[in-house]
Amino acid sequence: MHQYELMVILDPEIDERTVAPSLDKFLNVIRNDGGTIENVDIWGKRRLAYEINKKSEGIYAVVNFTSSADATVELDRQLKLSEAVMRTKVLRAEEAIAMVAAAAKLADEKAARKAAAPAKASKDA
Amino acid sequence: MAGKASGGARKPLRGGKGAKALAPAKAIRVGVIDYKDVATLRKFVSERGKIRARRITGVSVQEQRLIAKAVKNAREMALLPYAGAGR
Repeated sequence: MHQYELMVILDPEIDERTVAPSLDKFLNVIRNDGGTIENVDIWGKRRLAYEINKKSEGIYAVVNFTSSADATVELDRQLKLSEAVMRTKVLRAEEAIAMVAAAAKLADEKAARKAAAPAKASKDA
Repeated sequence: MAGKASGGARKPLRGGKGAKALAPAKAIRVGVIDYKDVATLRKFVSERGKIRARRITGVSVQEQRLIAKAVKNAREMALLPYAGAGR
């Protein structure tokens, strides 16, 4: 089991209200395999930096989930088969989560040090 | 490291007090580098969409590597343009 992050760009011509349910249907692959969906974030319509399939806009969605590698590959395969999906990207999220945690810890330590020695901290900063 | 000091001529370095200009005044600080964070990544690409060199950004080797990867991921998802695309 691993943590993944999936980003999809969907065709801008489909109705935005149908995005969530249709995306959910794809995510059943993960659920049926015993994985869990942590978060689904639909960004909505966004300008593309360059044209994809002659379209200059796309509906972006980001999904965080935990699942086995096999189910993840299957999900990506099924997404790519869909006409409405313009592009997909699946990334392992562990490193990113570790990086966020490390940055938060560093900020905490800095704040603690600043509180402990305010005179010195102001000089260092 | 000192051999490439002439590279600083491309862009005026902020606070260039040291004669050898080691790092460009610790230019940009970033906590977390994420390919979805376009606003942050924009600081690390030129107007033409090229990734800025480390001597210009002034970040560490490890960070530069993460930034380069994030920019490339962002390009694949059309969040950032490929170099040479516009203009």
